[in-house]
Amino acid sequence: MLRNSKTAGILGIFGLLIFLTGCRDSSPVADSEITGATPANPTVQIATKGTLRIVSGSESKTLAPIVERWGRENNVAVEMEYKGSVDIMLALQNPEPFPYDAVWPANSLWIALGDNQKRIKDEQSILWSPVALGVKKSIAQKLGWVGKPVKVEDILKAAENGSFKFMMTSATQSNSGASAYLGFLYAFAGSPQALSAADLQKPEVESKIKRILGSVDRSAGSSGWLKDLFIQKYAIYDAMFNYEAVLIETNQELLKEGREPLYLIYPSDGLALADSPLAFVDNGSSERATKRELVQSLQKYLLSDAVQKEILAQGRRIGPVGDKITGMDMTVFNPDWGIKNDAFLNQIRYPKADVIRQALNLYQSAFRKPSLTIYCLDYSGSMKGERIESLKAAMKRILDQTEAKKSFLQASARDVTIVIPFSNRILDEWTVEGNDPTALEEIYQKIDNLQPDGGTDIYSPTLRALEILNQKSAKSGEFFPAVILLTDGESNTGRTIDDLRSAYQSGDFGENAPVFGIQFGEASQSQLKAVSELTSGRTFDGRKDLTTAFRDAKGYN
Amino acid sequence: MKRFGGLLILLAVIAIATIFYLRQRNVSNVPGQGAESPAMVTAATGSGANDSIIHLKGLIGGEKTGLLKDPEVIKILREKYHLEVDSDKRGSLAMVQEDQPADRDFLWPSSQVALDIYRESKKPMVRSEILLNSPIVLYSWESVTEALLRKGIVQKKNNTYYVVDFARLVQSINKGVTWKDMGLPQLYGRVIVYSTDPTQSNSGNMFAGLIANTLNNGNVATEDSLQQSLPSLKKFFDDQGYMDSSSETIFRQFLAKGIGDKPLIVGYESQIIEYGIDSASDPKMESRKKEVRLLYPQPTVWSSHPLIALTDNGAKLIDALQDPQIQQLAWTKHGFRSAVGADNNVKSLSVTGIPSVIENVIPMPRSKVMEKILEGLK
Repeated sequence: MLRNSKTAGILGIFGLLIFLTGCRDSSPVADSEITGATPANPTVQIATKGTLRIVSGSESKTLAPIVERWGRENNVAVEMEYKGSVDIMLALQNPEPFPYDAVWPANSLWIALGDNQKRIKDEQSILWSPVALGVKKSIAQKLGWVGKPVKVEDILKAAENGSFKFMMTSATQSNSGASAYLGFLYAFAGSPQALSAADLQKPEVESKIKRILGSVDRSAGSSGWLKDLFIQKYAIYDAMFNYEAVLIETNQELLKEGREPLYLIYPSDGLALADSPLAFVDNGSSERATKRELVQSLQKYLLSDAVQKEILAQGRRIGPVGDKITGMDMTVFNPDWGIKNDAFLNQIRYPKADVIRQALNLYQSAFRKPSLTIYCLDYSGSMKGERIESLKAAMKRILDQTEAKKSFLQASARDVTIVIPFSNRILDEWTVEGNDPTALEEIYQKIDNLQPDGGTDIYSPTLRALEILNQKSAKSGEFFPAVILLTDGESNTGRTIDDLRSAYQSGDFGENAPVFGIQFGEASQSQLKAVSELTSGRTFDGRKDLTTAFRDAKGYN
Repeated sequence: MKRFGGLLILLAVIAIATIFYLRQRNVSNVPGQGAESPAMVTAATGSGANDSIIHLKGLIGGEKTGLLKDPEVIKILREKYHLEVDSDKRGSLAMVQEDQPADRDFLWPSSQVALDIYRESKKPMVRSEILLNSPIVLYSWESVTEALLRKGIVQKKNNTYYVVDFARLVQSINKGVTWKDMGLPQLYGRVIVYSTDPTQSNSGNMFAGLIANTLNNGNVATEDSLQQSLPSLKKFFDDQGYMDSSSETIFRQFLAKGIGDKPLIVGYESQIIEYGIDSASDPKMESRKKEVRLLYPQPTVWSSHPLIALTDNGAKLIDALQDPQIQQLAWTKHGFRSAVGADNNVKSLSVTGIPSVIENVIPMPRSKVMEKILEGLK
């Protein structure tokens, strides 16, 4: 995946969360396609107009082929990396040279929050998409929502009385979640012109926002992944907040499978839009003028009439934000799915940057549904040395509340954090209820003091974790439960995947106990994947950057 | 005494003319040997005209980037004045408040207030001169302008739109009038004029000065008047929510995102002229431009562009930028009005609706008052 050691070094600094899904997630324009015309020789690229590195939100993946085509036509090698909105924001805040030439987050909001060094130039919105609630159409009909304006309050009532089970991404990790959340806040604060710090302190706002977030049945750290999970768990969940563009893709896939599509609800008093800005990042490097021209040329290409039409055909809106669009394909922007294609979409205005920051911190530390997170950490002999140090550093980023806050991952007063260190057996079990920084620091001290030794059994700690989840009556929906399982080896002793399978299937914990595997060292990818798939979790690659892998896994509950 | 003074002036004129003549001759005939400054003397043994070039370093307000990057301007500065300018973008207020390194030759902020603040800091200055001006204007869209015309807030005179009742517009905003009340139910929420962050960017800052004047019944705001008007002023800006930090960004976003995003923004008159030239080859932007309306508040404030020379070389730039050709390019391609008497013919512009003269102008509040405003808005 990495073309040379220099790139690897640069990337290493920032850590990619996408390594595991490797080739699918990171799509550098295939070398062969560039060098194909000339004898295969990697240095040929130098003779081209160079490389353009773009960091983008996962929702731009669909557009990667268009960007790659631009690269081919212009002899530019394009490397696209995908990161969550918060990761893009954090990378911008980092005073280190930014390891990309361009950013393309889902929303300009993340540039506004991250660009305190004023490195962003030539910001241009390429497309836009509103964040809507997609509900199974029959349920929307039952609720009397078809063709009617629906307020956030209506959604709150319907979710609370069990009319549907719904998903949305974490507001502090993913832009679609943040957009939906800000829309809720506007609605509950009585549609102010601009949400203020005072609005966030209003008791009625706090109580309603806690209620609606408390009724979310499943969270995630990425909008694209949420869609996949929704389709996979279609029998269990009925609705999700996501980009209109992603909901269109969802419906296209559902129809292929002969299933009932989702009906889109655009909350009438709290609709947020994502504006997908592509911008040049000025690192002050010697190549800045060339890179800036490349970004401008790409922008021009993406905004050209022909390409804009292609983008529109993919269910993304183009042209003036909020405005009606002519030439929409009615099979894509299907009015039967509730898609508004004839009206001006009236979006909320984003508040000041410090109000957004405050809103996100409140989400994380007070408003969201609490999480019950169980970390199963591998202390087998092979973890000795550098690996255990990486593990400690990564856990510090989560348990040290000052550090955690930087990534909006601080614990709330209602969270429960449990750590289970293991080798060929369970070594211990440490629990903290709430967010007392001293108590969390104490767990960290225990992690720090423990010495790795012995073999590996990943299933026993996982089974114990599921048992705890059951005991904590997480099934009542009081928590977002998650097990984060880190290992650097192959499970070769003790229990097996079959034990886990039967326990998982017989347990009354149901479908909502995801295990997020973190692959480290020589960990068996197939074992972790089997666990993640069984529990509808996800596997993250921690081999390049364990801290980011942990952070991302934590971002899922 | 009087006669003696006259003689001195005459001698000085002759001396300058001689130097100028020698320099011209030397440069055109003997590249690299027309040295008049020490830098040039040491360069005389080098080869080529490059050696006689003086490299200037300075900070500029972002809106002048296009002007200083204009190849025609670069050529004149180089060939006629032997100057090469290396400039970085900085906020007008930020640049006059930061420490000035020894190799910095000039600052070119976008407001008189910045110059005043710099003067008061008693930091080194060789001289300063206002070279260009551009009035603060509002940019809007056809349907919004029509609504404002119907309400009598805007009037069209000789093809130019004037916000004749700017005070009423400000009052309406502070009263919470909605776009629906204005007859535009499709637009979100209340009537808002979006500006850049006044604590970070000059156009927002000047707009805050203009609003402070308006809230003082059309008189220049004072420390006394602020006591009463500051809460309203703060509300005016708080209601905007998220604010951009650069005049260029807000203008580009306004054009790109359209009426649904921002129905009404603050900018410089120069922006549409420069943009008109830049986007001449882009048919889509060309059509968008037709829907854009330029509204002149009555009164408005001038954004002045004083060049502050920190070194003798910096002072050379003050002279060079008064070159009639540069002043002409500054107007026709970049939209800046001359502050040194060059002709600004509106017929030479690609954009219509620009008045020949900006008649109704109110001074900005004094720098002390502006500092108070900024403190209050932080």
